[in-house]
Order: sequence, then C-alpha cells, then structure tokens
Amino acid sequence: MTDATQSDTAFRPKPSLPPPANTVGVVGWMRKNLFGGPVDTVLTLLGVYLLYVILDFVVDYGIVNAIWTADSYRECLDINKGEGACWAGIGVWFNSMMYGRYPDEEQWRINFGGIVLLLWLIPFWLPKVSGKIQVGISAVLTFPFLAASLFIGGDIGIFLHAMTAIALTLFVSVWLNVATCYLMGKSLPAVLISVTGFADKDDRLHKYVLLGAFGVGFVLALLYHLSWDLVEVPTTIWGGLFLTLVISGIGISSALPSGILLALGRRSKMPVIRVFCTAFIELFRSVPLITILFMAVTMMPLFLPVEFNPPKLAMVIVAVCIFAAAYMAETVRGGLQAVNKGQYEAAQAMGLNFWKMMALIVMPQALKLMIPNIVGSFMGLMKDTTLVSIIGLYDILLMGKAAGQNPTWLGFHTEPLLFTATIFFVLCFAMSKYSQHLERTIGGGYGRR
Amino acid sequence: MKKVSLLALGAGFLASLAFAPEPVLAQDSTLDIVKNRGMLRCQLGTPAPGFYSLSDDGKWSGFDVENCRAVSAAIFGDPDKIEYQSVTSAVRFTAMANGESDVLSRTTTWTLFRDTQLGLDFTTVNFYDGQGFMVTNELGVKGAMDLAGATVCVLTGTTTELNLTDYSRTNDLGMEPVVFEDSNVRDSTFFSGGCDAITNDKSSLASTRAKAPDQSIFTILPETISKEPLGPVVRQNDSQWNDIVMWSLFAMINAEELGLNSGNVDEMKANSTNPEVRRMLGVEGDLNKGLGLEPEWAYNIVKTVGNYAENYERHMGAKTVMNIPRAGSVNDLWTKGGLMYSPPFR
Repeated sequence: MTDATQSDTAFRPKPSLPPPANTVGVVGWMRKNLFGGPVDTVLTLLGVYLLYVILDFVVDYGIVNAIWTADSYRECLDINKGEGACWAGIGVWFNSMMYGRYPDEEQWRINFGGIVLLLWLIPFWLPKVSGKIQVGISAVLTFPFLAASLFIGGDIGIFLHAMTAIALTLFVSVWLNVATCYLMGKSLPAVLISVTGFADKDDRLHKYVLLGAFGVGFVLALLYHLSWDLVEVPTTIWGGLFLTLVISGIGISSALPSGILLALGRRSKMPVIRVFCTAFIELFRSVPLITILFMAVTMMPLFLPVEFNPPKLAMVIVAVCIFAAAYMAETVRGGLQAVNKGQYEAAQAMGLNFWKMMALIVMPQALKLMIPNIVGSFMGLMKDTTLVSIIGLYDILLMGKAAGQNPTWLGFHTEPLLFTATIFFVLCFAMSKYSQHLERTIGGGYGRR
Repeated sequence: MKKVSLLALGAGFLASLAFAPEPVLAQDSTLDIVKNRGMLRCQLGTPAPGFYSLSDDGKWSGFDVENCRAVSAAIFGDPDKIEYQSVTSAVRFTAMANGESDVLSRTTTWTLFRDTQLGLDFTTVNFYDGQGFMVTNELGVKGAMDLAGATVCVLTGTTTELNLTDYSRTNDLGMEPVVFEDSNVRDSTFFSGGCDAITNDKSSLASTRAKAPDQSIFTILPETISKEPLGPVVRQNDSQWNDIVMWSLFAMINAEELGLNSGNVDEMKANSTNPEVRRMLGVEGDLNKGLGLEPEWAYNIVKTVGNYAENYERHMGAKTVMNIPRAGSVNDLWTKGGLMYSPPFR
C-alpha cells in the first residue's frame, strides 16, 4: 500500500507483527507457567484447590469465627463452639507472655532497658559516625551490667553500681559522639581535645584529657545512679519473651568471641591449650543441650555446698553460653580452614605477629565466609532456648502453656502456640534477612551465590 | 596463664568430688534455714487446674498452693512469704534432695517406694484422688463394667496406663487403650469421638470436662480403680519440719471440724470456751513449743488461709470450673463419712 507509492527498488521490511495475543500479558503468562500441558494443568488445579482449602480454614478459624473480646475461654466456646480462635485470650495473657511473672508496675524497666540497648546500637547503622567498633565493644561489655542492675534492682552492691555508671557514661558518650560527628564533622575525642586547647600538645596529654573527661562523666553517672531506688525483682519470676531474649541474647553475644578463641585454641601449636580446647568442644558438642541444662540446674547443686546456691537463671545462662561457644568454635574453625594457606604465609612474610595476622588478614576473610553458618547457629540457639521450659523456667512457650491451665482459661492452648510461633518466625526471619543484607554489603567480592 | 587456670579447674573439680559423698543435707534444721531466709521455698509442678495454676497477673493459686501458704502463715504469720518453684515432674524429687525446695506440694501420690527409697517423707494427705473413667452420655454406660471392648484414651508412660491395663485384665474387659503423649491432643480426640472413654485421675477428668465445648454431655463414672492419696512431701530425717508441715494441714482440717473459719476465728479466739479451740488458737497451753513456732501459729493459718472446707470450695467446689462434689466423698470430714481426720490438738 504505502510501499507501492514509494520507490520499488529499496527493500523495506514490513513492521513486525505483534506477538500472538495468547503469548503475552496475563493470559500468556498463565498459559506458559500454569497450563503448559496436561500435567501442568492438573497440578495447577490441585494447587489452587489446596490453597483454597487452607485459606478457607485459616480465614474461618482466624477471622470469621474468631472472638476478640471475652473474659474467659468458656465465653469464647459458648459463642463459637471451638470453631474459631479465641484471640481475646492473647490480649489477657499478653503481658504474661511478654514479661512472665515480672510485676506489672515494674515492667517499664524492661522496656526502658530494651530502648537503651536499641539506642546504643543505632549509631552502628549511621553512616557518618566514627568509632563503630568502640560502640559495639562498649555495648557488649557494659550493657549487661546496666541491664542487670536495672532488671534485678534492689541492693546491687558497689561493683554493679560502678559498672552501671561506666555503662551510662559510655552510653551518653556514644550519643555525644553521634552529635559531634553530625554537627561538627569530628569525633567526640577530637572535639574534647580541641575544646581544651591541647590540640597541638603531645599524645600523652590527649590521653589524660580523655581520661579526665571520662572520670568526670563517671562520677556524675555514679551519683545519678546511686539515686536510683528500684524494688528487687528476683530472677525466679522472670519469664516470657523477656526471658527468652535474655538467655538467647547473652548466649548469642558471647558465642562469637568465645567461639573464635576456642577455634584458635584448637588450631594452636601449644599442646595444653589445644588439648583443653579440643576436649571442651568435643565434650559439649557431643551432648544435647537439654542434658547440659539438666546437669547445670539439677545435678550441680548436689556437688555444691548448701550455702552456695546460685540462681537457676545464672546456671542456665552459663550452660547455654558453653553450649553455644562449643558449636560456634567448630563453625569458626571451618571458616579458618577455608582461608587459603597463602594468606597466612603472606601475612607472616609481612612480619605480622599472630594476633595481627588473625585480626587483619585471616578473620575478616573467614568471618565473611561464615556468615550464613553463624546466623544459622544463632537462630538455632534462639529456638533452643525454649528447652528451658523443661527445667521450669517460664519462657514464652511455657507461659503460653500455663495460660491454658488456668481455671478461667482452661482449654486455651492452640492460640498461645500460634502466637508464640508467630513471634519466633518474626524474630528468626528478621535475623535471616539481616544476614542476607550483611552478606551483600560486607561479602564484597564473594557475593551471594 | 592457661595452664594455671587448667590446674585450678582440675583442683576445683577434684574438690567438688571430695565434697560430693558427704550428705547434702544441711546440719541446720529446715525451719532455721527457712526462718533465716525469710522465705519458704515451695515446689509446685507445671500448672494443673485446681491444684496450682498461674493467673494472668503472675500469681500462683490452687488447692496445693494453700498448703504452702498455711506453712508460711504458721512460721511467719504471713501466708505470702513464699518463693514458688515450678518444677517438671521428672525432677521433682531431685529438687527436694538437692535442697532447692523446702516442701513439695504438688499432686504427688503417696507410695511405699517414694516414702522409703527417695530420702523423702510424706506428711499427710490433703486430697484423696483416684483413677476413673469419663464417657459421653449417649453411650448409655452406667458403670465401668459396661466398657467391655471400649477404646480408652490415656496418656502413655504413666501409672494411669498401667492401672488401665491391670483393671481391664482383672475384670476381663478387653479394653483397647489409645495412647497419647500430649494431654491436649488426648482431650480433643476424646471430644471429637476418637475413643469411647477417657481415663485419668478423677480430678483431672473434671478439668478435662471443663474444657469441653459442651460439658453437659459427659459423665464421670462412679468406679475408682486406683488409690491416689496426694499430699505434701518433705526431706527425710527432719522430724520438726515434717511436724510443721503435717500439723499445718491438720490445723485446717481441725478448724473445719471445730467450726472455725477465716471469718469467725477472731471472735472464737476472744470468746470461745471450748478448750480445744482455746488450745489450738494459742489462748491457753503451749502446744506451739514442740513445733518451734509462735503460739498463734494455727490462728494465723485459719485467719489468713482458711479452713479445709474454705480451700476446697475456693479451688475444687461447685462454684469453680472443677466442680468436684465433696459431700459424701472421701474428701469430706470423717464426721460426715469422709477420710479427712485430724489427730486431736492436745
């Protein structure tokens, strides 16, 4: 048509036809992926049916027939005959499942401690802040003391007072550091030194300035902290998600450093250290966690003098830490072995000593390789903490079970389990996602394969 | 450094072994330990409705909890100076042996073996339980003898299961046990018709029934096929402590027999002329001496905890979900045909 009116000599391709209508768009996608052949079609229909059945049940149980306000399980049963969930119970038992038997009027202490920890860790993710390693180390080493004096309360003794004051000082300086980094573009120590006017003096003087500033902060914090007056809440009544997080938090944060030390010890050329580390790892790796917990909580007191009766929770935490360290050590050893021998030799050739070689050359490469495994053990440890319910600590799982044994809430057992499962899923999924993020950012050249 | 710490560790381990063979029991009496601590350590189990359960504000309550409250009231005059320990049944006796708990007050059956071979003493019985059967009404069963060939839901690995097979064999009933690991699964299977009958201690059957969507369609059969006397337990070889726990229970039973309760005990203490009431409440005599307690120990129990009947009605009675009738049962007073009997306060 138009071609005919133009020159006949030049070749002009016709404009390409659009693809057939049944290969594009939703229809095309469905033909290709869902109904590609008789087998695909049958499988798709089966899948749709299964999905329908499951969703139908979930919606019926969880939403349509669910009861949202009631004062007892009987009330729920009278309305829905057990056909739907009684979410009202989760509302009633929410505080118990979060804080265990921690007194209602003291629960703000847990929230406050949690907020402090979060705030402490935020500078970690702020791009402009300097001294991130110091932030991390200060949090790991001193936050537990702050948490202990906050959560236990009562007469805590001078040592804990001092440690808490150090923690408070460090916490405040972490945030002062953030402020100076963002407002003045300099780290807190640099600002302190320039303010005092000793900037051009030698390094020793700088150290004295910083120590002096820390001392002033410490005394202020100590005076402030001595004015705290908290009721004692014994660890025996801790419980719920709080207890789960305390046990797994301490276990997780201690696992990596102790695991690294044990792994290095196991590869050491010094026989005593090597034998000790190997024996430790093999002993605790060959026993189930529940056995270690039983040993710690039930058998240990038999060997100890009667007056020396450490709290159950302390024993449990020690047991969990030992267990986690033994597993982490083997993970770390795997990572160390994956690092090429040439890297060690190169580091030695450069004249680095053992610790520098490990810290600067080997560990950064090994840890990168180990991220999936490390996070895997962390998640495993977190889920394993529910075993403490067997030795009578009221973690979130046991607290949920206890709810269904209360005379008013008799029979209320499915909902707490679903609720607990959801919480564990959220926590573990978050960890997993964060580990993927870590792999992408610090995994650098390796990437996620 | 490492070598030194290894040596220290080894030495510590040897030292702990050296200490181990010595008896763990303290030389001090349990009463002294409890008084010094200012707290009674009371061992409960994982929650069992009626006997001990947690409320949503974190408080323990229940029939067995009252035993501990009575002991605490007897010692301190305050029923709440208690540190509750919730221990799984697998380690309940170990937790007594290693000194963790002062008194074990949790549905524990008094048997010869437990009383003699575990280093424990049973004080007395606060609840007579026994294994029974529960069926749906539409089955038309009037007694356990009608259950020939029936399928029976039961928890595995318990004495309940053994009692069931024994009973079935002796009476040639050919019952078929359907075993479960988890009581919630057992209960829901029974509710949905997975077995003809369910067997357990009768108090537990009552709480199972209380879970059912429709309670009225179930009946607990009259037969009791086992004896389960439940009561608090103390460590062996501390008679004074044994006496305190035992007589704290007797004080509640005797109070009911004498018509004392938490409401009228003040008035009775001031006005009663009954010599036994006066002796028991510490108005005259010195019955407290042998126990090492204050003269008003029994008064404090009745005043702050109540008598046996009050406790029963609070946790097991018709107004509770348990709804286990007491009148005429073994748990009634001996004067009314039951087994609850306190030696005289003299």
